Amino acid sequence: MRRLVAIAITIAACWFAASRANGAEIRVPEKAVAGQDLSIATGGSGEGTLLLVGPGEVIKHKITLGQNAEIKGEELKHAGRWIAIVRGGSPQSQVFWVEPGKPANLSFLARPSRVPVNRPSVISGFVFTFDKFQNLVVDPTPITFTLSVGGTGASQNVTTKNGVAWVRSSSAKKAGSAQFVAKVGDVTVTRVVQQVASDPCNLRMHIASRNKDRVTVQTDPIRDCTGNPVPDGTIVTFIETDQTGRSVVDARIKKGIATAELPASSNAHITVASGVVLGNELNVGGGE
Amino acid sequence: MRLHSLPDLTQKQLKPANGSNPRLARILVFAAGLTLMISGAVPLAKRILADTKPNVQLNVTNAAPREVEENTEQSVLRDYTAAWKGLSAALANNSLAPLNENFTGFALDKLTQRVKDQKQDGLTTRIIDHGHKVEAVFYSPDGSAIALKDTASLETQVLDGGSILHSDQAQVQYYAVLTGAEDRWKVRVLESSK
Repeated sequence: MRRLVAIAITIAACWFAASRANGAEIRVPEKAVAGQDLSIATGGSGEGTLLLVGPGEVIKHKITLGQNAEIKGEELKHAGRWIAIVRGGSPQSQVFWVEPGKPANLSFLARPSRVPVNRPSVISGFVFTFDKFQNLVVDPTPITFTLSVGGTGASQNVTTKNGVAWVRSSSAKKAGSAQFVAKVGDVTVTRVVQQVASDPCNLRMHIASRNKDRVTVQTDPIRDCTGNPVPDGTIVTFIETDQTGRSVVDARIKKGIATAELPASSNAHITVASGVVLGNELNVGGGE
Repeated sequence: MRLHSLPDLTQKQLKPANGSNPRLARILVFAAGLTLMISGAVPLAKRILADTKPNVQLNVTNAAPREVEENTEQSVLRDYTAAWKGLSAALANNSLAPLNENFTGFALDKLTQRVKDQKQDGLTTRIIDHGHKVEAVFYSPDGSAIALKDTASLETQVLDGGSILHSDQAQVQYYAVLTGAEDRWKVRVLESSK
């Protein structure tokens, strides 16, 4: 009789333990998306607490065991690895994954912000794709890059890999503000790349005027090799050499030309340069 | 005879009860010592676990469009390792300082909120880091950003006070974007993926 009672008590204890262990059973969906509602099924009976421990938050809900716990989309913002824990008797837990939503933000960086015209592969741009909750979208996503100046430009289609896409582009032949645009779906981000004239081409000067004390030299309108005027403010260096020594004048371009006044000499040699570009040379003296 | 022997027996039985048993005293002293030792060793072990730098292996051979310089490789390795150490410490102790040192932007915002929520709910997370195999997948042409793909072996425990609510060990894939800060690389994006 005692044995029977002991066996019965043991069975009852096991049954009770099993029921307690299953009391907080938890089932999470295979696929969840950030910003979308989520339903988590629980087993057992009575009151419990649901904890969702995510990459950037912890969500806590009082729940009734045995019923579905409804999580609103605005609570579930962060993509990544989540842990669902149900506390009601012995705690039960389950790992589940939340995927990012559709691309809604682009982090677009363009370099450099100012670039000479007509240079190959000098402009670079890269884009990271994010959903509206700033989760990195790692699924391949097609991005369209467009670089245009004054209505003319070129496009490149690139697909993201590991959440990032990049392009290299040549600068246009025409100076001006280039619109560098990255586009995914309806999302467009624009950066401005200032394309400026390159180094001067065919730098030429002439004598503008001369008297017994001074000689004034002046350049022709200064342009780069594709015909863009070199910006005002660019330095042009005039050097006069004669038997008494050297005179150097750094003049800024004003309205497309540079002018300098040099001391008059009976036999002088004048050169002109801008950056690494050398212009023509003049010999001034005697009756000239 | 019976009446005579009874008082002797009672006297013997009373000896341990009046506290003069040296064996019991030894056990009590030993138990007290053991308790003291454990109470000192547990926090120490926690500190040691928290202070251990994770083992991170970085491969930069596939980085594009720019090649990663040797100095950059060393500093990225150092700072990404420090970021994981900081993350473990922040989640274990619910402190924000290790996050501010190593994270910025979206990653800092998210992890800061996680720590605040943990603190509010009385939770902590213990990460036992078994190492990272990291590949650089992007290095920006201007050298300002680097993207990493990390396969991490992690043991994660969610604790409520001293009791473990959840424990698991898994290989988790992370995508990280690091950007140059004043004197180091900081993690701007850290996201796990299935």
